[in-house]
Amino acid sequence: MATVVMAYPELRHPFERTDIHPNGAATVLYQGRAVTLREARTDGHLLIRPNDLAKVNGFELKPEGACHADTCIPIRDDMFEQDDGGRWFNLTAFAEHMQQAYVADEDSSVWSFAEMPSKRDSMLIDALAPDFEVKDRQGRVVSKNSLKGKKAMIVTWASW
Amino acid sequence: MDVPVWQRINEEIHSEIENPNFVLVCVAEDTGGEAVAGPIFDAANPTYVQVIDEDHIISSTFDFVNVPSAVWIDEESRIVRIDEGTYSQIHEFDWGEEKIVFGNDVYAAALKDWVKKGAASTHVQSSATVAAHVRNHSFEQLKADAAFRLGNFFRLHGYSDKAEKYWQMARALNPDSVNFIRQHLTLTEEGSAGETFWALAASYERDGKDLYRPLDIVV
Repeated sequence: MATVVMAYPELRHPFERTDIHPNGAATVLYQGRAVTLREARTDGHLLIRPNDLAKVNGFELKPEGACHADTCIPIRDDMFEQDDGGRWFNLTAFAEHMQQAYVADEDSSVWSFAEMPSKRDSMLIDALAPDFEVKDRQGRVVSKNSLKGKKAMIVTWASW
Repeated sequence: MDVPVWQRINEEIHSEIENPNFVLVCVAEDTGGEAVAGPIFDAANPTYVQVIDEDHIISSTFDFVNVPSAVWIDEESRIVRIDEGTYSQIHEFDWGEEKIVFGNDVYAAALKDWVKKGAASTHVQSSATVAAHVRNHSFEQLKADAAFRLGNFFRLHGYSDKAEKYWQMARALNPDSVNFIRQHLTLTEEGSAGETFWALAASYERDGKDLYRPLDIVV
């Protein structure tokens, strides 16, 4: 019989089944956050209200494009759609434009987005740390910016 | 195993080195969350920064494929070392009749040297070396990160069938991630260090693959 070590079968299905987004139309996962959108359209693509873009990935829509920090990405007209309910922004088309990977569970309308490859360029070109953000056990933000001005070692471990 | 040792090393750095201006961040890559990783942290009485990273964000950010792995970042946010199998010391434990020995006793000394000397430390690597040490993180591997988080999201909401589906997808998209494989195995009866893991380790040895990037410090 195999030796059983570092197994947590009690954690296999530990959670009660709960509604994914009881008061929303879709949930977007990105950078460790889960953002529930009150309104969304899904038909193979995820269309969101333009004002919700900043909530899901930090980009703001401006006349010059989708802007984050000091970078603006030009937006094609076909990333917007208009219907009787108003204006929509095609988030998945934007992701594809940014070569950003995503996986969708369309039955549940949950869309999980990976990091944008462009955010990693600094690491490959001049070894600058990419932006990241996690929270410590006390709920404080640990990020590239919070560590700036100090030497830092980030080391991973796991109970497993 | 390393969690309390890092606390000792952190204390030594702050007592032995004048104005170290150093922060140690220990990150548990653990979907089990506080329930699993919290007591291990607490037992070490840590004064360093403790993070429980249920979605493996840090491993994704720095392209780590296994634990322990580490990155050193200087005051200007420049990475000066990345992605090494960074045990804090030599560990020994009994495995049946075998004695398992792993780790090294040079990494902590190198860390102290960097904290003390900064850019003058011989352990600081050039930007070109660091960039060369950054693992490839292909579109498929990034998609694996998204699938892993989706699976974890569903597990937290009690949808075990969907959790399994997306964790399997993550493993298929990024078969080099030992993190994904072993994290998934924690939810099986055999656990993360059972037959499947040892078969994986044997296949790595047979194929000449490393579970970690070899430590680039003379041992």
